[in-house]
Amino acid sequence: MQTAWGWLPAIYLFLGGMGAGALLVAAAFEFYGKRYQYDFCPTALVGATVPGPLVILGTLLLIFDLGAGRREPWRIFYMFTHFSSVMTWGVWLLTLFIPVSLIYGFLEILDAFPAARQWLRTRRWLRWTAFLWNLPLRRTKRVFAGIGSVLAVGVAIYTGILLSAVGPAIPFWSTRVLPFIPIPMMPVLFLVSALSTGMGLTVDLAATLAIGPMEQRVKSLPWIHMAFIGVETLLLGMLLITALVNGGSAAQSAREIIAGTHAVVFWVLIVLPGFIFPFVVHAYAAGLGRHSLVSGVGSGVGIVVAGLFLRYLILVSGIPAAL
Amino acid sequence: MEIPRLSRRRFLGLTAAAGVAAVLGVPLLKREASLAQERPKARYALIIDTTKCTGCGACIEACRLRNHLPEGVSYIRRIVKGNERNPRFLMIQCQHCANPPCATVCPTHATYRREDGVVLIDERLCVGCKYCMQACPYQARIFDEERGVADKCWLCLPWVLGGGLPACVEACIPGARLFGRADDPQSEVAQLIASGRAKPLHPEFGTDPSILFYVIAEE
Repeated sequence: MQTAWGWLPAIYLFLGGMGAGALLVAAAFEFYGKRYQYDFCPTALVGATVPGPLVILGTLLLIFDLGAGRREPWRIFYMFTHFSSVMTWGVWLLTLFIPVSLIYGFLEILDAFPAARQWLRTRRWLRWTAFLWNLPLRRTKRVFAGIGSVLAVGVAIYTGILLSAVGPAIPFWSTRVLPFIPIPMMPVLFLVSALSTGMGLTVDLAATLAIGPMEQRVKSLPWIHMAFIGVETLLLGMLLITALVNGGSAAQSAREIIAGTHAVVFWVLIVLPGFIFPFVVHAYAAGLGRHSLVSGVGSGVGIVVAGLFLRYLILVSGIPAAL
Repeated sequence: MEIPRLSRRRFLGLTAAAGVAAVLGVPLLKREASLAQERPKARYALIIDTTKCTGCGACIEACRLRNHLPEGVSYIRRIVKGNERNPRFLMIQCQHCANPPCATVCPTHATYRREDGVVLIDERLCVGCKYCMQACPYQARIFDEERGVADKCWLCLPWVLGGGLPACVEACIPGARLFGRADDPQSEVAQLIASGRAKPLHPEFGTDPSILFYVIAEE
């Protein structure tokens, strides 16, 4: 079992993924027009405003996990320079994603609360910003939503490439989608998990808490979410089976997950709250058109908790190749 | 507000394009690895004869003392193989690969390979992210908690450049460690490598170890 990366990187991988996924959901609501279907859209509001702070928090955790870089922070700037390293790609993606998502969130707040716009507009000490108020708010917001979603896909995928790029050193992390397809599984799994946790946060949790079950307003949402959960289940199954087929320490990792030291985390903290429970809840909502406060919040919390433990599980179950 | 349909299509297109670009990036990394294999071979060679190694650990302790490492920490690690009656000892340290994955994944250029094949860490550049420790298939790196940087065997380079020997070679009691110039065809190490008796450890990792070689008995 690898011991170099523990909880801090796991939380970071989770926050980065969930932030990216939430922004993608908000951008999808923006571009599909669901954002404007009703006067107030908590999904778009949370999906636009939360990713910036989430990713900032994750980045701070990453910096805190550094050795010399924490004590001598100027060393962090060296991390922008070596482009063969996936970590350098990540540093660039985070550096671009954070300001874009913060601006997108700020514009979404201005759009959702005219009072905030009015307040800022009438401050004497902000008079120099007058030229900004002439910009078309929604079109500007849409530009940042577009750039933000491209960066969000990058953030969600790179966290997976970061792990798979270690190659033969930790065979479980570099497991392929299927033994004969030369695409690493982790980036694909992390992207789908990011979208699922993003929906859990912005739809199941935020919308249910703010205005009641979102599914009653956008009929296709439970189906889309069920599709994500289904695809994620399929990918997780393919990961474990491919690892078992590959043998060696990858198979050992898979065995520890299915029925070994990590089995409790896997079945009780990931599969049950993040896959089975939300799938049943959303199937119920899609079939009967009903979704209660408890089931919405329950599936949202379950998906978010499972997303966190999934990152932790994949980190701790990485076993170095035998020599 | 009226929602233009083009934006939706552009949104989906951009999202898909980013996804494809990210997936294509992976083979690009691999290609860089294959280019790196054309790097020049190393000038030094250190051969460990596992048929002579008794696993006494003198090399581990000598390495610790020369490099002023704390108690119980060394650049050399012992792996016990074989069975109880016939144990085999595998001493693992940095293999000084010609295609070092630690240098590829390092985000700061801190790990680099010298022209003579020795892989070194510039500790002034290291941020301590530990990515190199994950990427080394030989798990040859340790972490210096005090200074917060990655650390590993540096082939006792100042001693070697001055005509001396690495501490582990000097200390080896059964004479299982051989050190010499691989670019001198008359040297013992060059002949052992040429004869095929001394081989790189786990060449299937694809890192092309260029200084460390092992003589392993055929079982």
